[in-house]
Amino acid sequence: MSSCGNPAVEAEALMSRRLKFDKSRSCVKCKTNVGNIVIRHAVYCKDCFTPLQTTKFKRSLEPSINPASASTSGPRRTKLKATGNLLIGFSGGLGSTVLLDLVSRCYISSNETVENVDGNSKPRGGTKHPRNQSVWMEARACYVEMCGAFPESGMRDRTDEVRKAVERYNGFEFVSLRIEDAFDSRWWASVGGRDQIRERDLGVDLSDEELLLSSLQHSSDSSPLAALQKYLSSLPTTTATQSSLTALTRLLLLYTALATSSSHLLLGTTLTGLSIGLISGVAMGGGFVVREEAGEEWEPRISGLAGEERRIKVVRPLQDMGMKECAAWVWWNGLEVVGKENVVGVKQGIGGLTKDFIVGLERDYPSTVSTIARTCAKLAPKDAAVERCVMCERPAQRGVQDWKARISIRSFNSPESEMSIPLPPHIQSAIPPPSHPHHSSFSPSLTPLLCYGCHTTLTSRSSRGTALQSKNLSKSLTDVIAPLPVWVSSRLLDSVVNPGGEMRDDLGGDAWQSKKMDVKEMRDAVKDFLLED
Amino acid sequence: MSTLLLSLKIEFSGGLELLFSNQRSHRVQIPSIVPIDNSTSPSAAVPASDISMDLPTSPQSTDTGKTKAADITYLMYYLRDHLLKERVELFMEGGTVRPGILVLINDTDWELEGEGEYILKDRDEVVFISTLHGG
Amino acid sequence: MPPRNCALCANARAMLKRPKTGQQICRGCFFYVFETEVHNTITEAKLFKPGDKVAIGASGGKDSTVLAHVMKTLNERYQYGLDLFLLSIDEGITGYRDDSLETVKRNQQQYDIPLKILSYDELYGWTMDAIVSQVGKKNNCTFCGVFRRQALDRGAATLGVDHIVTGHNADDIAETVLMNIMRGDIARLGRCTLICTQGEDTIKRSKPFKYAYEKEIVMYAYFKKLDYFSTECIYSPDAYRGHARVFLKDLEAARPSAIIDIIHSGEAFEVREEVKATQKVQQTCQRCGYMSSNELCKACTLLEGLERGMANSAITDRARKKLDAEGPAPDNLRTIPFYRAPSAAGPNASIAVEAPS
Repeated sequence: MSSCGNPAVEAEALMSRRLKFDKSRSCVKCKTNVGNIVIRHAVYCKDCFTPLQTTKFKRSLEPSINPASASTSGPRRTKLKATGNLLIGFSGGLGSTVLLDLVSRCYISSNETVENVDGNSKPRGGTKHPRNQSVWMEARACYVEMCGAFPESGMRDRTDEVRKAVERYNGFEFVSLRIEDAFDSRWWASVGGRDQIRERDLGVDLSDEELLLSSLQHSSDSSPLAALQKYLSSLPTTTATQSSLTALTRLLLLYTALATSSSHLLLGTTLTGLSIGLISGVAMGGGFVVREEAGEEWEPRISGLAGEERRIKVVRPLQDMGMKECAAWVWWNGLEVVGKENVVGVKQGIGGLTKDFIVGLERDYPSTVSTIARTCAKLAPKDAAVERCVMCERPAQRGVQDWKARISIRSFNSPESEMSIPLPPHIQSAIPPPSHPHHSSFSPSLTPLLCYGCHTTLTSRSSRGTALQSKNLSKSLTDVIAPLPVWVSSRLLDSVVNPGGEMRDDLGGDAWQSKKMDVKEMRDAVKDFLLED
Repeated sequence: MSTLLLSLKIEFSGGLELLFSNQRSHRVQIPSIVPIDNSTSPSAAVPASDISMDLPTSPQSTDTGKTKAADITYLMYYLRDHLLKERVELFMEGGTVRPGILVLINDTDWELEGEGEYILKDRDEVVFISTLHGG
Repeated sequence: MPPRNCALCANARAMLKRPKTGQQICRGCFFYVFETEVHNTITEAKLFKPGDKVAIGASGGKDSTVLAHVMKTLNERYQYGLDLFLLSIDEGITGYRDDSLETVKRNQQQYDIPLKILSYDELYGWTMDAIVSQVGKKNNCTFCGVFRRQALDRGAATLGVDHIVTGHNADDIAETVLMNIMRGDIARLGRCTLICTQGEDTIKRSKPFKYAYEKEIVMYAYFKKLDYFSTECIYSPDAYRGHARVFLKDLEAARPSAIIDIIHSGEAFEVREEVKATQKVQQTCQRCGYMSSNELCKACTLLEGLERGMANSAITDRARKKLDAEGPAPDNLRTIPFYRAPSAAGPNASIAVEAPS
């Protein structure tokens, strides 16, 4: 009821602008030096800045290093020892540049030398002393090259620059991926996934909201790069393209962490970046996984190369450092930022809009960004997750399709209209269900396997849209079917080829009754394309 | 009017250098007394559309002849008009630097120095660092 | 573009592009889906039972005008069996509320629904004009918001209704979700997406337009030729909320589903248990009996500040301390009449309150 044009008028709504810093120009920590930087109203000198940021970094990271059983609240008594290796997601951007530097300073270079008070750098207690064992046995930095996603923008391949940036540090192995690997069965096999027989690949019709699955006809150019580009160009909005790339990158990193026996995946998300991610996540319907945005423990569905089941902790150790602090860190330490290319159109997506919004707020209301992160840390999902989404592999809640059907009526043939609701007066007789020329009536749908956010990504349209929708009207079946990321097809095929397996277990319980049906339908639809085992 | 010239060292980092001929370090000389409306000396290199984007810079107002000591705000207009090669919107917005750009004056956060109102001195070093280069 | 058939009924010619879904549909189907979605919202939340007396918070603006129309329509179509009332608050802003109160009076006749108008002046002894002349424009929205919320409840109590429905729409709620995250208001964040808020003895309040897009409300009014007043308040809204509104509109332009996607997010999470424990317990105001999280409710604190010429006392902690230092409230202080909920709430009943968002 915005009758007064100002709906929630509350004292709390007023956020007064304060002076950028409190009272004095001297450092709040040492109280002697003149300050060099203002961090959320507090003034610090350069000397105090470095230990302050290092402490924040360690405080964010270290509680997650040891397995849960070993860590206790209160001061840490046991030494830091991770159960697996370390993988850093390195984009070459500001945050990951600072992250790599901090990890190297705090945990990697100190393997060889521990600086003593008197300045000599002999390991205290000798190299064999337990204190000087590495926290992680092996450390890697993994870069995902994105240029394949933007064939028309002339984005250049930065792999070599990034490799050089990583090689400036000792002790990190460089892992180079490409975004199209998400559609590459060889990459999938290399991280321990089932080596698929390509003829079995499933695709989805992204031109239609029902997201019907079909088998994918391979054209002459069926390279992973072509598959990626086909997938991206089939998405309905700019927002969908961006959030899909984020999701693909995340899973490429997670499966790489699995394949390298890593217990930790560290990301260079800054406090600013985290707030942007939280707000844009909420704006894209991801409230159920708001916790995962800050940190998650991912349990892979496949067992990885080592064969053992393991969980991977995703940690963002810079989540207390704003972009400003990171920029100052880079400048004062003389680090090089490779940087990321500006992608045309990003600004029109929800991610880009949120970034502009938050960065603008951060200038005028410096504490808002940390308030966002703190507020979201106090939230938990309302219901227990019933399933993991096939696309993003994050927890999914039940009933989202019913919710959507109730709140946005998109068809008079939805289950909802079978209730005793009369049809509109101008309609005399029942409307025949729309026919799908491309599909048999048994076509299964991807919809029940998706979380709210991923379903929205694949179906929600905008009037700005892409030219694709109209283009597709005249296209044949083979043209509208988009390929799916390897982990999605793998799971779909698993359930079809091996119906007694995991998928059926996943789908147990009343809430997913409708899905069981879909699995059966799915099998019917693709059985002609399946080879005998 | 006898105005001294101030010699300044300017650095761009974090991707901002790409807007300035991909050159990180620049030396500029600007007058110590400048027009109060921040109009920099006429330069044919500046398209009129760029000037009109950021009020109150308009060619007419220079006629008023009012002046001030050269400050950071003036420097930004000067850099925009004389050094910037492309995409002004990535450098300035609403008469100040675009949000997300960290400014250091002699290695100190400009927020401690009065931001745009800081009066420049000879041999000052001013650094502009973009923080928007991704995570 | 050639004429297209309605994406829903395939019979009639599409007349509009639906803001919520982007579908091109005909007018008949638009009315039908708009009303049916509100009906779904009402039935899913089991908002009413036959015989309920329901007051529609009516400002004369678009939301409440359309709400009155839709409530009347649905009540007849689906035989809810509700007794409907219109309840208007006159804030006392010259030139702002006069026209819209005329609209409400016309609605009263068109829909044959009884109307009650309650003014800040009669309830608090202060019009908004008088308040602004004392506090200025800076914090006046605080007064207006707090006073309106109480005034609606008090008006409803005099009408003897069980339930107030307000015209809050999906845009309002999505914006409030974002605002509450940004200002760290965890308590309100937890309840701002609730359709209905009610304690044991308070009057229920709900938002049947929770999922209705502002643009569609305007479109509905336009096609149904409902007249309403869209007057911006002459006392400026605060800038910070303005940012959030603009941002939300940008998000909607990028992807129209963003508004319900945000509401879906807000419904999917809740405040963690261990955080809940630290939140304040609700009590009733010692002076006026209205629900409050402190000894004195917001309205009484604000009113006391106004009466004692220290109007900012409830706005900042410092000002409140200063007020307290001046000594206790004088006995002859003008106060708000004691509040009694229609079902005769005990004075110490614990009550859940809801953000007047």
